[in-house]
This record gives sequence, C-alpha cells and structure tokens, in this order.
Amino acid sequence: MRRYVLLAALLLTGCGAIDTPPAVNASDVMFLQMMVAHNQQGVSLAKLAEGREVRPEVRTLAAAIGSTQSTEVQRMSGWLIEWDQPLTAAPDEHAHHGGMPQTSKAELARLRKTPDAEFERRLLNTMIAHQDDAIQLARYETGGGANPGALELARQIDISRTAQITYMLDLLKAPPP
Amino acid sequence: MYLRTRVASAAAGLLIGSILVVLPSTPASAHGTMSNPPSRVYTCKNEGPENPQSAACKAAVAAGGTQAFYDWNEVSLLEVGGQHQAFVPNGKLCSAGRDKYRGLDLARSDWPATSFSAGPRTITYHATAPHSNSNFSFYITRNGWNPTMPLNWSDLVHIQTFNNFNPTTFTNWTINIPARTGRHILYSIWQRVVGSNEAFYTCSDVNFGGSNPPPTSPPPTTPTPTPPPPSPTPTQNPGGTWAAGVFYAVGAQVTYGGLRYQCLQQHTSLTGWEPPNVPALWRRL
Repeated sequence: MRRYVLLAALLLTGCGAIDTPPAVNASDVMFLQMMVAHNQQGVSLAKLAEGREVRPEVRTLAAAIGSTQSTEVQRMSGWLIEWDQPLTAAPDEHAHHGGMPQTSKAELARLRKTPDAEFERRLLNTMIAHQDDAIQLARYETGGGANPGALELARQIDISRTAQITYMLDLLKAPPP
Repeated sequence: MYLRTRVASAAAGLLIGSILVVLPSTPASAHGTMSNPPSRVYTCKNEGPENPQSAACKAAVAAGGTQAFYDWNEVSLLEVGGQHQAFVPNGKLCSAGRDKYRGLDLARSDWPATSFSAGPRTITYHATAPHSNSNFSFYITRNGWNPTMPLNWSDLVHIQTFNNFNPTTFTNWTINIPARTGRHILYSIWQRVVGSNEAFYTCSDVNFGGSNPPPTSPPPTTPTPTPPPPSPTPTQNPGGTWAAGVFYAVGAQVTYGGLRYQCLQQHTSLTGWEPPNVPALWRRL
C-alpha cells in the first residue's frame, strides 16, 4: 500500500516538482473527517434549543455555536475536497468499529424527549461533553498534523471550545430565575 | 464513545489522493476501564445513566450529566505520552481533568466500594478496544488519605506497573495490595506506547473495613457559596474594540486587529470567536 501511495504521489507531483503544495499528512485528513462529522452532530445538538424553553442566553449561545460550526464544516470540507480525500470514512467502517455515531443519535433522541423542566440542563451538559470531545480531537491534530491551515483551525477549536465550556459551566451554576 | 471509533474509521477510509499523504500512524482506537474492582464510571454506567441507584452516582449525573456514562470507556487524554501530572490537575484525577467527566471527581465517602484486604488480589481491566503494547500502572491512596478530600497526585502510592503489555478484552493481573484502613481508591493508568500518546485513567473505590482518619484540615463548614449569576452581559458602545464576554446585537460594529467588523448574528463574544475567526458572526467592513 505504501508503495502505491508514494508512486501515486510521484506520478502526480512529478519527481522534484518545483511548486510543492502545503504539507498534508494522514492526521490532518483524519482530524478533518472526524471534525466534520463531530461538528455536524454539534449543529444538530444546537438546533434542539430552537422552540424549547431555555433562557435567552442559552438560545443565543446555541444558535451561535450552530452557525460557527456550520461555517467550519464548509471550510474543512473544502480542504478535503481540495486534497481529494473523502469527507467521511465509509459507513461500513463505522459499523466495523462498533457503529458508534449512533451513540450521538441516541442522545439527540433522548434530548428531544426530555421534558422542558429538565431540557436546558441536559442540553448544556451534553454540549459540554460534546465540546470536550472536540478539544480532544483538536489536540490529536496538534500532536500529529502537518498542514498549517488544519493546525491553526485545531488551535482555534481548542481555544473556542474551552471558552464555550467555561461559559456553559457558568450558565449551569446560575439557575434559571 | 464514538470519538475514537471515528479516529479509526477515518484512518481506514483514507484513500490515495492527488497529494502526498503519508500512511496513517496507528489510529487512536483503544477504549476501556477497570471492571474489577469497578471504576466509578463503570459502576454508574452499570447502574444506568438515566436512573442511577446509588447516591454517589446520582450526584455524579447531577453534577456532570449522563453523557460521561454512555462514553464510560473514554476517560482518556489523547496526547499525554506519559506526562500524567502535567496534563491532569490535582483534584481531577478521576476525570482525567476533562469537564465531560467532572462528576467522577466528587469527593464523597459513599461511592459504591468493593471490599478489599491486604495481600495478593486479582484485578480486571475491561478493554472494549484492547491495544497492544501498553503500560498499565496501579496505585493506591496513601495511609491516612481521606475520601472526602480531593484526590491529588501526592496521595497515590505506586503498587506495580506492567510494561509493554498486550491486553485482551478482559485482562487479569494479580497485584499485591498493601495494608490500609477504611475507604481508599485503587487508581490505574493505561498508557499506550506505540502509535499513540493516549492514556486512560480510572478510580475504583475500595473498602478495607474500619474507618478513615478524620480530615487533618478542618472540615469545610462554610457551605458552598452560591456562585454569582453570570453578570448581566454588558453591551458595548458602537465602534469600540472587540472584547470577550460582551453581548453584540446584529449590526454592532467593532474594531479588531485594526479592521472594522459588523455583527451578523447576535451572540455573547467568547475567546476563540474573534471576528476574523468566525465569519458566521462577523462581516468585515
């Protein structure tokens, strides 16, 4: 397999080609594929706040998380397309490894069924857990990635999710009036 | 739980592209926790995340939500590489310092505990994705430790480490437990060695019988202060410099990095949401 990758690379770039594209490695691709899927789940999560009884701060935060993460998905997908990489791993591969994305689908279903009185707390806790996972994904990239754009995005994700978690923990501490 | 699965899936799905993509290093795909004596996350997972039975698991779910217990086999950090004390702060050893798992750090004397005694003891690690070539280290809290105090690194006494070990789904070891009185924590670290810097952390509550010494420092008599509500978000004069923690309405204008931006969607600004970083929220003028 390695031989073919190198061969393909040589054929496509030409041996000793002058203009080399920005470095990309497998960690960059993995990070983007995972982050696209993770962000999409986050957008679905944030959407649940619409039309439910939550404080205005929570509604505003959820909407802003939804739109910022959608923009990130577009940007990351653009890179994957540019690099000629699949946007997601094959579904059968997910199944092979335990079909775990359903965990998140299950949580979305549980949240939908959660009564209004408990909804906001559960939404915030689930979003904190979700963004905590995103930080781990970002650090995976920071530790192994090579592409400057992807590395910078990972840094942004680490910082912004950390700030979001702090804000949400404060919202949880301050009970609704 | 799906997090690491997706790492593995993404690696498997990697196709040859038009650019040089070096073959993936071994993806992060390990999962697991102690099953005997059961770790806190394993205990509450088995009680059921939605309807835990014990007061401690109820409190853990109340403190941090249920998702931690659905993702019970991921109390881990991806980039540790053996630097545990640098990555996991004191008082947060049971959660690996992760907010998602903060319910596991509750310092309580009523966590369901396994009866323990000094001498050889067979323990079991449940790895849903066992990964070869890993180091497993086991520790117990020191004599005189008090379960109502936060767990710190200095509280741990090393028992034994198994290096370059290849775990199976259920791996047994026999380790020699030192003499203790009352409640203690058996702590474990699973550090992957090849292909990943990932490490997993577990806290298993055990009870040797008898009672723990009273806390050496006076017990906290002051009730937990009610945290102040988030201060009403200040609004900002139009035309000011962007700052974090400010509510911006649609149309608000700010300066950031010498450039002017207009707010596209109302939000309270946060670090990481600086105008050039979030085109969904700000448009450059």
